[in-house]
Amino acid sequence: MNRPHVCHEIEPDIVASATGDADPATDERVQRHIGRCAPCADEYQRYRAVEGVVTAMRRAPAPVADTGQARKRLEASLRDLRHRIITYRIFPSPLGQILIGQSEQGVSIVEYLGSHGDVRHSRLAHARDVEAIEDGADVEVLYRELMEYLEGKRTRLEWPLDLRLARSDFHRHVLSAASEIPYGAVTSYAGLACQLGKPTAARAVAQALRWNPLPIVIPCHRVIGTSGALTGYAGDKIGLKQQLLTTEGIRAQQTAVPRHSMYISIPNETFYCLPSCSWIPTAEHPHRFIFFGTRERAEASGRAACGDCRPDLHPLRN
Amino acid sequence: MGHQPFETIMEAHHAEIYRYLRRVTSRAAEADDLSQETFLRAYRAYRALPADANVRAWLFTIATNLARNHFRAEGRRSRAHAAASVCRSALDDGAGPEGEALFNEVRVQVEEVVERLPLRQRLAFTLRKIHDLDYEVIARSLDCSAETARAHVFQALRKVRQSLGEPPQMEIQR
Repeated sequence: MNRPHVCHEIEPDIVASATGDADPATDERVQRHIGRCAPCADEYQRYRAVEGVVTAMRRAPAPVADTGQARKRLEASLRDLRHRIITYRIFPSPLGQILIGQSEQGVSIVEYLGSHGDVRHSRLAHARDVEAIEDGADVEVLYRELMEYLEGKRTRLEWPLDLRLARSDFHRHVLSAASEIPYGAVTSYAGLACQLGKPTAARAVAQALRWNPLPIVIPCHRVIGTSGALTGYAGDKIGLKQQLLTTEGIRAQQTAVPRHSMYISIPNETFYCLPSCSWIPTAEHPHRFIFFGTRERAEASGRAACGDCRPDLHPLRN
Repeated sequence: MGHQPFETIMEAHHAEIYRYLRRVTSRAAEADDLSQETFLRAYRAYRALPADANVRAWLFTIATNLARNHFRAEGRRSRAHAAASVCRSALDDGAGPEGEALFNEVRVQVEEVVERLPLRQRLAFTLRKIHDLDYEVIARSLDCSAETARAHVFQALRKVRQSLGEPPQMEIQR
């Protein structure tokens, strides 16, 4: 390797100045030096030549075909990534720490995390084909609406939903059917199974609701046993189920819903009745009944008071 | 949020980042993978990026980190060198008039020297001299001080200069 003669103490400055990387004071110092030092002046010129070559390298474009192909591949990968991403945040709530997450398609998870509030214990951490990214900005709005719901200030969460975390298409059908249960009403697992055209699938329906990725939003808390018992909720969180139903005006007593003192209707019906209404003992599918805690809630679901039993004139005493 | 759509970021910076990675990896496939990974990582972190951040510098930092990890893994650096000629011929415009041809010859020689530089010098040289990034940004990318980044560039230029020998070859200028 050639080692040209150059004054070592100023060499870095000569390089910086010749390659356009020096401040004005350094430039001036270098110019003064090379004015009286011929070897350094030569060296300065050589670095100028190097800079000329480097400038040409800088201007050389990358092959267009390669860049275009790389860009196309990137766009495909980005589409895939966007589809996989669920952004989430963990919030405090009266029901403990709650994780809320959404994808580009819609809200995909609401999960009770208990006191630990650790995403590593969340379903999200174990879901396949999902990439969880913590981000609050978008989810914050959902949280506020959810809090309003839990405080009884809101009766609907009109969110676009993404049911990708449901375990099967059957589960998705069950969850869709559960979404139709009106606010302030309860029905039974058997009733929901019947509505899905699978009257013997009450246990499978219960399992689907057990794995509901969107509790509260998809109101699985409004589904109870045929006896009126609250049965289960999110594992062993029956207390939460009771709390949610209370917010909606249904007062469970000793982990059971007092169906004998609630207003009755059936899905897709336009009226609601007292439990003493004459048609009720003759109903073909009594497990399909929907029970409302209050007249207000029954009427808010679009139902009118039955013309026979007149619950509007003889309201139940709760 | 105050952020531009990510597509705008891609539109503005993908070609340059790809070109940077193509230079430091010397292989189209590696540059393709690393540029893709750079933007996928950027997409994941983009929401958390302060709205007034220098996106270009940030992308270069991600790309440089990925390139360094890439070379660290499985000692790929030597293989990248072996493939250097492929990249160079792809980047070359071809010979023109005599002076142009001679100039290109020198350029090829410089590129060869750059490709054989120690990794940090090569990255610092490419970031500074080819992509004109600040020393502060280069320092962040290389996890060193700005002074060290400057020293890497100096050492790289010195090696390039030394490899080109004495005049008359060095009389070629633009």
